[in-house]
Amino acid sequence: MKINRFKLWAVAVSFMLSAPTFAQDGPNAENGKKLYEANNCGSCHALDKKLVGPALRGVHERRSEEWLISWIRNNKKFRESGDADAIKLYNDYGGAAMNIFENLTPADVLDIVEYIKTAPAPKAAAGPAATNTGGNQVDSDPTVKYILLILVAVFSIVLVVLARVRNTMKRIAAEKSPEDYPELFDNKKWYQRYLPKAMANWNPTVLALTIVTLIALPSSYFGYKYSITEVGVQKGYAPTQPIAFSHKLHAGELNIDCKYCHSTVESSKSASIPALNTCMNCHKGVQLTEKYNGEISPEIKKIYAALDYNPEELPGKQFGDNPNPIRWVRIHNLPDHAYFNHSQHVVVGKLQCQSCHGPIEKMEKVQQWNTLQMGWCIDCHRNTGIDVANNNYYAALHDKANKDLKANENHSMYFGPEGKVKITPAMNGGLECAKCHY
Amino acid sequence: MKMNKLNIAFAALAISALGSSCVSRGNDPGWEYAPDMYYSKGYEPYNQADSFQLNPHGMSMRNPVAGTVAHGKLDFVYNLPNTGEGYERSATEVTAPANVDGIDTRGKYLYEIYCSPCHGIDGKNDGAVFQKVSTLKPAWKSYQDEYIQNLEEGKIYHTLTYGKNNMGSHASVLTPMDRWRVIKYVKQLSGVSTNSVALVESGVQETSNEDKSN
Repeated sequence: MKINRFKLWAVAVSFMLSAPTFAQDGPNAENGKKLYEANNCGSCHALDKKLVGPALRGVHERRSEEWLISWIRNNKKFRESGDADAIKLYNDYGGAAMNIFENLTPADVLDIVEYIKTAPAPKAAAGPAATNTGGNQVDSDPTVKYILLILVAVFSIVLVVLARVRNTMKRIAAEKSPEDYPELFDNKKWYQRYLPKAMANWNPTVLALTIVTLIALPSSYFGYKYSITEVGVQKGYAPTQPIAFSHKLHAGELNIDCKYCHSTVESSKSASIPALNTCMNCHKGVQLTEKYNGEISPEIKKIYAALDYNPEELPGKQFGDNPNPIRWVRIHNLPDHAYFNHSQHVVVGKLQCQSCHGPIEKMEKVQQWNTLQMGWCIDCHRNTGIDVANNNYYAALHDKANKDLKANENHSMYFGPEGKVKITPAMNGGLECAKCHY
Repeated sequence: MKMNKLNIAFAALAISALGSSCVSRGNDPGWEYAPDMYYSKGYEPYNQADSFQLNPHGMSMRNPVAGTVAHGKLDFVYNLPNTGEGYERSATEVTAPANVDGIDTRGKYLYEIYCSPCHGIDGKNDGAVFQKVSTLKPAWKSYQDEYIQNLEEGKIYHTLTYGKNNMGSHASVLTPMDRWRVIKYVKQLSGVSTNSVALVESGVQETSNEDKSN
């Protein structure tokens, strides 16, 4: 034990002795790294790639130490002093001025340069990106469905024809040797051959009624139910989108407000599909290169391709001249003859997005959560109370309801739980046909 | 008996074909009774239109004709160029209109939607996006820095309109008046009173603290 403790002391003392000499010994890359991170140099610069500013690797070879100190600490003053290189650099990067870092001492700047000098080179990308790029998922093509249906029809016709041919052959054979085919001469009706022996001799009327009850009624019931709950109802529709955008990540984990992207939801009939410009607010910088062996994420590349934006080019440059808009697949589609207004429901009705769209912040791939059938609309209009008390839009209606409630008490149409005023959209004309169909 | 089996197989095939084709799941929207009543012939917002010579991508949303201004939208006109020079000029040439209202209500509301995902609720650059991807952070630490306190409102307006460095343009999501409300709220967060110029200088003196030593 004693020896161990002594050793510990020895190490500590030698460290303390060596530390100050180390610090005096020229620029310190470790401190440089700390400063590099603390001042967020990385928001505009990368070591091996142009971002907003130039790639920094090898900067100590391109520029002198004095030049770097002047530029980094106050590039504006430096440019104004008339340094030709500084002015050229500024113009090359589209006049995007670098911030001023006078909080850094010249020694600090040299530390940062030392860090850039000694930073390890990135590992070479191991061949083509190992991750599956997602591939082009085959969209469901309606023609495939029709071809299948046609095939089914053709095969069933072939089936019927073959059966008839077989029947005819049988009759020809039976003419030659009737004793081999007793079933053709037993005076049975055609359907009696298909029935179990016990049922074969039933009264035809009873038989017909039984069959109708057992088969026709249930199947027509299911057919009816199917036709009103499935045909034309797209609940559960979750098409593959051209970019695999995850609401779970953006709205769930990052907790970005829905309105950040769907910004017109409060002012317009439609909640906007964001312009790609909105994606670029983050994805100019977020490229997930660490996940894809130094390559830009294939999904983010699609944004760049659509905008004709080249991340390698000068950052002063805006999006290219040859854009190719993303063709998102529409999920929620009301019939042309029904009117729905988002702003009315979100601003006046104060509904949350999730009340109609479901737990969108948990969906990796968005699917239609509700049926969007008229009965679904009407249910909500009948049962949901409007928050009239805290909404100036309904001031007059609220007064009227309060008076009515006072006069008629529990006979009032506005009588709600705990004797408070309850007003539903239905009471305010929310069931009128022409409110939505015009 | 053979016929019997064939018939049953045929019926099963028909039923399964019917059942699988009309239900909307995954990529398949299913069947509709009258598709021409579901899909408008007229342009609906964000619907795809037929493409033709003048609209090669078949978009129903188009840019206004170049050089025109929609009625009542004169404040959308912004003439400074998206260059470093334009940024410098915005400091003096762009000023807030006199009637910016609702700073604490609408300004705060908009700030929390459009700015806080990165810059954080209090402007400390600690929003969820910055926490996840710290390389996006700007050079300044928080709105309480001298840099933001001294930053001209016109320059912030220029930045919101065109974007700067890693930040993109927010012109498509904020109207000009909303931009000013957000700017006033940001100034308020940074501890600078938005009401009088005299207070700007005193606010700067109050908060020159540890930020500088970094």
